[in-house]
Amino acid sequence: MKPFIETDILEIMSEDLQRALKKPRADRRWGMAIDIKKCIGCHACATGCMSENLTPPGVHYRPVREEEIGEFPNVSLRFMPRPCMHCDDPPCTQVCPVTATYKRDDGLVVIDYDKCIGCRYCIVACPYGARTADSGKYYTGEYKNATYEVENSSEYGKTWKRKNHWCSPVGNARKCHFCIHRVEKGELTRCTTTCLGHATYFGDFNDPQALINKVTTKANTFRYKVSLGTMPTVLYIV
Amino acid sequence: MELNGVILPDRGKFTATIGDILRGKGGLPLYLSLAGLVVGLYAAVAVFVIGHGETINTYSLVPWGLQITTYFYFIQLSVGCAFVNFFGSLFYPKEYKPFASRVILLGIMAAPAAFIAVATELGRVDRIYRMFISPNFTSPMFWLSIWYGLYIVALVLTYITIQTGKQSNKVLWGTFIIAIVTHTTSSSLLGVVSSRIYYYSALLPIYLLFIAFLTGSALATIVVSFTVRQKKLDAEFYLRPFIKFIRIGLALAFLAGFWRIMIGLTSHVEGSEIFHLTAKNNLVFGLGVSILIPFILLWIGRSPGWLAFTGLFIMLTQLKNRSDLVMGGFKVPVFRAYETPAIIHYMPSVYEFLILVASISMVCVLYLVSEKTGLFEIVDRKEEHRL
Repeated sequence: MKPFIETDILEIMSEDLQRALKKPRADRRWGMAIDIKKCIGCHACATGCMSENLTPPGVHYRPVREEEIGEFPNVSLRFMPRPCMHCDDPPCTQVCPVTATYKRDDGLVVIDYDKCIGCRYCIVACPYGARTADSGKYYTGEYKNATYEVENSSEYGKTWKRKNHWCSPVGNARKCHFCIHRVEKGELTRCTTTCLGHATYFGDFNDPQALINKVTTKANTFRYKVSLGTMPTVLYIV
Repeated sequence: MELNGVILPDRGKFTATIGDILRGKGGLPLYLSLAGLVVGLYAAVAVFVIGHGETINTYSLVPWGLQITTYFYFIQLSVGCAFVNFFGSLFYPKEYKPFASRVILLGIMAAPAAFIAVATELGRVDRIYRMFISPNFTSPMFWLSIWYGLYIVALVLTYITIQTGKQSNKVLWGTFIIAIVTHTTSSSLLGVVSSRIYYYSALLPIYLLFIAFLTGSALATIVVSFTVRQKKLDAEFYLRPFIKFIRIGLALAFLAGFWRIMIGLTSHVEGSEIFHLTAKNNLVFGLGVSILIPFILLWIGRSPGWLAFTGLFIMLTQLKNRSDLVMGGFKVPVFRAYETPAIIHYMPSVYEFLILVASISMVCVLYLVSEKTGLFEIVDRKEEHRL
């Protein structure tokens, strides 16, 4: 008999995550699937991401697109959250003049904030607009920064002090990194946990038992701008 | 090799010139340029002290703005000077020779002017050394830094050979080839970006190569026009090759520019709507005002003053065209998130304009000081000596 309360997908994905972390890093292939049918456009993922990564004005790792579909009176809204696609053939890594952005062996495209010269070429090259420039702005103004704005960020598992505009990541390109600082501690990405509609799936594509593999093989999926040949590892379920 | 009085100005003349400038006898153009340089450098320093976010209006949706435009513009100006030097030395040696050191020195001077602009656009210019510590060989930007370094060395070599009267065909051809490689690499910075259909084209590096020749010819024409008038030389004889250069440059720029627009307008690839959005400006200003009007101006008159005006007109319209090209690529966002406008508008900040002023003023100051110290007379004096 089917249990009255099914196991929450967050618990399943957490178990998948623990299993993946036991493997060598090169054997993992992190990916994400977003069920557009489930997305209600609440922007909780975007907000969660901002608070997790302490992103300043102009830096958005996971904005949500709103599209009107159909004509009056048969109109509906469709929402499309857009994290970094962590492409298998990323255009951003090819153009970076100092190899500050590169693809890890577990499939993540990351930025080394200590190397980035802030040329913004990767922002120009990214076909998804997934990269943003941190020009050192604050929501609360230059001289009256609220404490939350200057708190240390822990992206990529390091401590980033935002003291002035010469402190990385100020001046750098920034983007979604699948909350790798959380993932490597055994926690799911922030957007996955804050998603009200449970529309975001995260896991290891190399694990056939992982929920992300089960949902993406059963459903109709598409990759954004697939014609560019970038092979995103973020799949949209339609 | 003698430096003072050959490669650099004569020490005595240089000291006298500086004295004249300090006594207020430098002339209005020099003082205006100096004022522009001071104000512009203040803006450049302000970017580093106050911070990029507070001074520059570029942001994630328009990552490259007026400073990158200035950078591209001064690179094309510099390369254009190298082209004029090559074609002038090869096809019009008699007419071109008196102006060779002027043209090539302008090419050298445009290089630091380009660097000022790009240095203030980089988020972390203090890490620029990383280009050589951890280079990425697939990045056009890395290759540009290599070629640009070699190009400046080639220009300096060319200048030395001119000043010492030991022009060599090997140096001439070498500089010409390096100039082509440098400029096509710089254009490929935009040309290889497949996500921005407005840039993504094999035609772009070729188009910008022709534009470089046109802009270099325009700058050389201004300089030659003033020199001819100042020294009361035979204007028709000395200006003839430069008129031809401008005409050829205009024709080539029109051809490549026209087909770039047409190919874009007929495209149905995602993002190609930018070509429709910019079609009016590209056709009316990019081709009509910037190319057809200079043709008419050249047809109307040939006096040194008129040619200097035509040259200035070409240089200013091409600056606007570079700005339209760089910023045009960002007009339609690649991903339109919540509240992102359908068409992106960008207006450079006062600081950005002042940095452009700094780059222009720097070239003017260096050129005018070189002129006053008699640096360009050295070759003439040598020729007279030989005769």
